[in-house]
Amino acid sequence: MHSLFDPSSPQARAVAGLWWWMLAVGGTVWLIVIVAMLWAAITRRQRRLSSDLVRLDDTAHVRTERVVTIASGITVAILIAFLAYDFTVGHALAQHPLRALTIDVTGHQWWWQVLYEDPDPSRQLVTANEIHVPVGVPIQFKLRAADVIHSFWAPSLNGKKDLIPGYTTTLWFQADTAGRYRGQCAEFCGLQHAKMAFYIVAEPKPKFAAWLAAASQAPASPSDPHLVYGQRVFLSAGCATCHTIAGTQARATVGPDLTHLGSRETLAAGTLANTRENLLRWIVDPGLWKPGVHMPAVPLSPPQQEALADYLESMK
Amino acid sequence: MTAPPPHDHTGLPADMTLTDDAVAREAAQLDSIWRDGRGFWGWLTTVDHKSIGKRYIITAFLMFIAGGIEAAMMRTQLARPENTLLGPDRYNQIFTTHGTTMMFLFAVPIMTAMGLYFVPLMIGARNVAFPRLNAFGYWTYFVGVVFLYVSLFANTGPDAGWFSYVPLAGPQYSPGHRVDVWAQLVTYTEIAALCAAVNIIVTTFKMRAPGMSLNRIPLFVWAQLVVSFMIVFAMPAVATGSTLMLAADRAVNTQWFNPAEGGDALLWQHIFWFFGHPEVYIIFLPALGFVTPIVETFSRRPVFGYTALVMANITTAFFAFGLWVHHMFATPVPELGQSLFTAASMLIAIPTGVQIFCWIATLWLGRPELRTAMLFVLGFIFTFVNGGITGVMLASVAFDKQAHDTFFVVAHLHYVLLGGGVMPLFGAFYFWFPKIVGRMLDETIGKIHFWLFLIGVNLTFFPMHILGLEGMPRRVYTYLAATGWGPLNLVATAGAYIIALSVIAFLYNVLKSWRGGAPAGPNPWNSSGLEWAIPSPPPSYTFLHVPVVHSRHPLWEPAVDMPVVTGLRTDRREVLLTTAFDARPDSRHHAPGPSIWPLYLALCMGVMWIGSIFSPYFVLIATGLSAIGLVGWALQSTSTPGTERVATGDAVVELA
Amino acid sequence: MKALRPVSDVGGLPSVVFGQRSLMWWGTLGFMVIEGWTTALIFASYFYVRQNFEAWPPLQTPLPSLTIPTINLALMLASFIPAALAARAGKALDRAGVRRWLTVMSVLVVPTVVLRWWDLWALNVRWDTNAYGTAVWLLVGFHASLLLFDVGDTVGLTLFYWLKPMPAKSFSDASDNSMYWYFTVALWAAIYLIVYVGPRIF
Repeated sequence: MHSLFDPSSPQARAVAGLWWWMLAVGGTVWLIVIVAMLWAAITRRQRRLSSDLVRLDDTAHVRTERVVTIASGITVAILIAFLAYDFTVGHALAQHPLRALTIDVTGHQWWWQVLYEDPDPSRQLVTANEIHVPVGVPIQFKLRAADVIHSFWAPSLNGKKDLIPGYTTTLWFQADTAGRYRGQCAEFCGLQHAKMAFYIVAEPKPKFAAWLAAASQAPASPSDPHLVYGQRVFLSAGCATCHTIAGTQARATVGPDLTHLGSRETLAAGTLANTRENLLRWIVDPGLWKPGVHMPAVPLSPPQQEALADYLESMK
Repeated sequence: MTAPPPHDHTGLPADMTLTDDAVAREAAQLDSIWRDGRGFWGWLTTVDHKSIGKRYIITAFLMFIAGGIEAAMMRTQLARPENTLLGPDRYNQIFTTHGTTMMFLFAVPIMTAMGLYFVPLMIGARNVAFPRLNAFGYWTYFVGVVFLYVSLFANTGPDAGWFSYVPLAGPQYSPGHRVDVWAQLVTYTEIAALCAAVNIIVTTFKMRAPGMSLNRIPLFVWAQLVVSFMIVFAMPAVATGSTLMLAADRAVNTQWFNPAEGGDALLWQHIFWFFGHPEVYIIFLPALGFVTPIVETFSRRPVFGYTALVMANITTAFFAFGLWVHHMFATPVPELGQSLFTAASMLIAIPTGVQIFCWIATLWLGRPELRTAMLFVLGFIFTFVNGGITGVMLASVAFDKQAHDTFFVVAHLHYVLLGGGVMPLFGAFYFWFPKIVGRMLDETIGKIHFWLFLIGVNLTFFPMHILGLEGMPRRVYTYLAATGWGPLNLVATAGAYIIALSVIAFLYNVLKSWRGGAPAGPNPWNSSGLEWAIPSPPPSYTFLHVPVVHSRHPLWEPAVDMPVVTGLRTDRREVLLTTAFDARPDSRHHAPGPSIWPLYLALCMGVMWIGSIFSPYFVLIATGLSAIGLVGWALQSTSTPGTERVATGDAVVELA
Repeated sequence: MKALRPVSDVGGLPSVVFGQRSLMWWGTLGFMVIEGWTTALIFASYFYVRQNFEAWPPLQTPLPSLTIPTINLALMLASFIPAALAARAGKALDRAGVRRWLTVMSVLVVPTVVLRWWDLWALNVRWDTNAYGTAVWLLVGFHASLLLFDVGDTVGLTLFYWLKPMPAKSFSDASDNSMYWYFTVALWAAIYLIVYVGPRIF
């Protein structure tokens, strides 16, 4: 779900309510103005170009003056009503919750780093592009940018907020119903601005807790020789200069954290469905799917590619 | 109506009119003084506001076509999901060039160009106040046009969006020269706009026909005057931001936008939008100035609420400078500040609404004739009011956080700019083409043009509202099929092709009518402004004698003859200056003749701006070259033979 | 077209006028507004980036020196006297007087351009060190371009007065030139106070 028309949080619902109200009032205003214009143009129409001027009629003029004044007055009244409604909604949205789950999101060209805050730094969980949240709990986002300006936006849950280098911005919402909510970068951020999506996976609290516990565990070291080979490829072929996999020596943070990659539903920030075939294609030539992406195509032999993909997919 | 100005009838018989013989003799004499030089050299050196205005309008319209071709390419790319016609690199250059072209090379220049052509005609002047500055402005703009398109074809087209947010547009994330092209081009065209603005302000204040006091200035001219003031205060902001800050950050490592050294990415946004929001009104207010004379003429009566319309112009201009933060609601701007900007953004709807009401009231009180020009005015209200209402919606911080940077905003801004800017502009073309060319545009093709354009605009941009609310961000080169945005995008693309057809119809109409249209005569529409008192096309000296004005609608006066002023010298280019407020004749001014220096200086500026992208030394070289041009320019002004009457203190002295 | 009926003869009006009656005065005013406003915007940016610093000038950046900028300001203020006298001579249609005072004015203003080079180094910071350095360099540097233009204008007019028989119109140019010079100096006074003196006070 990815639309203002499907609000799934109190925040998005308040804005959707405002929108439908504005549409109704604005649509009515538009209709009245256009009817008034067309009515005059049609009923008073004159077919032939004439050099005679209309004789000015004082009574009609005074009457029209009254109508124009009233119309202007109504415009002002509508705007004041609108302003009042807007301020009410805006004020409600600006109230930050006292207790919330805090998630740090950092925008990169062109993916999202996600960090679940914890008082104990060793228990902080880092992931990418897929944000699991519990239903019915306020979620507070702290937003930062690693390179250029991005904008964090999941329309079914709340409006957007920019991620600006040098600033930390905040945004919060509370998902009402379980579901997968799509979001996308909204501020133009370079070549792959179009393919910088993310998903918010809202789950009932117990399910979320289970996910958090599982995701916080480093994946078990592979025992299958094929997968062991895949891990070796990962660590030696250059992948580890950019990526992290918990429990291995790969600790770099240039690219997305790949721990538990197999549990995610999409690859490359919402660009491809996460299947083994897609992952394989992605590794072979990332630039084919996301031209301009910073990840290079690492030269690997087909068996290496297969082993690598199997290894990554094995970490559920 | 007030009594005739006191200077009337000074020593002239009250019932004297000029004989045909005298008129013909004077016309020949004036033409020999005022006409452009011969041949190509004459074309390069002209300082006539009509020649310059005409080429300004044509160049800017060619830019509309260029920007339109880019738009068609983008719409073709987006017609279906995951299309591969344009890759992201090409797409980003094209959408940036589209925005840059439409805002900086089409919309603002064509609006000021209409002013440069028509303001002198409408106030009874023979030229603008600073003819050489006018030529310089055009050539500067022209160099900018060539520069951008040469860069685009050299694969150096700007690609960071028409507002080039830093740090994406900064040295680190946009290496190469693409953003430099943008930054210098913007400053370049703003210099042209500033030249035009100073010219229009001084022309309007000092060169109005005797009797044209402030309350008799045509609304077209009021709009141009107000907008010129806006240009004076808005354009320096973008010139500062783009050249003095962005280009400097890129070329010589200044730190304006680098947070690591105390710079600030949001500073750019403030500076840019402090210019960028007024920019919208700089495009829109002149268009409203076109609407009034069209509505008056085709309703056969003076417009309802002249004073309200003037006041609406002025208040809009003031409010326009208090709205810029509504482009930044998704950034960390304090909440209280945001509320103030919300309120201001809604308030500006009031003067705009009042203007719409006044025009509709004029229709009600008149007898509207649905000529093509008038149809475009109706189409303007139909389309623009929609854009105005979505504009009020976007003033809401809460709603804007959803709609901002999506196709909803794309829809809104095109409704405003195509509805509020281009519709009246097309109306103006139908209305004033006969004055410029001397021939009428074809009404039948005009109506086809109008209907195709109206349908095309609404078909293209209406679906974008929905797409935006369904989550489609702007500036994406593609989208996945799973988003479900495909069908509405296809509709929008179809609409874009219909717009293209309508513009082709218009071009055909212009080409056909330029040579073969029905001769227009001085006043084909029986309109009321001074520009219709002279032949079409206007002669080189424009007005044989400066007219004297007794009302807002000089040609709708019942008098059988046209009161004029005599006594300007006919052996040199002389214009009449009047007082700023009540337009009493004050002095005679010797206006400069043809000159090559404006072109020379514009080229020097080109060397400076374009060269500075590659090496700062070009600034020194160009400064040296400009010095030569300035001396040439000054020498031309100091060589004026003949005696002058010099006003010193209370006395007037004859001096060689 | 309607017949033309002359109602007024303007042949007796002056063709050279001073001050707000002349077009050039309005044009000069227009460009003064544009340049003044640009300076104001750079000032606004200066104060905007100042919010990002705890100390101003930032820690480890020395205060600007005062000697050269003060001398330069004094020189500019002193040049007001010949500028005013040249304008007055212009209004009195006194060719020799205009030439004399323009010459004195040129002698005083040409050194200000030279001193401007040391004004920049008196900032004691490079333009690329930090945003503070960038802001002060732009303020002083932008003013330098106005200064260069205005001094060039003054010197050029002076040379014309020596080399050519100047027409009556140039009397008006001389008085507009002085007006533009007052404005340029006033801008410098503001920059001097805010950039060079300001950080010492608050």
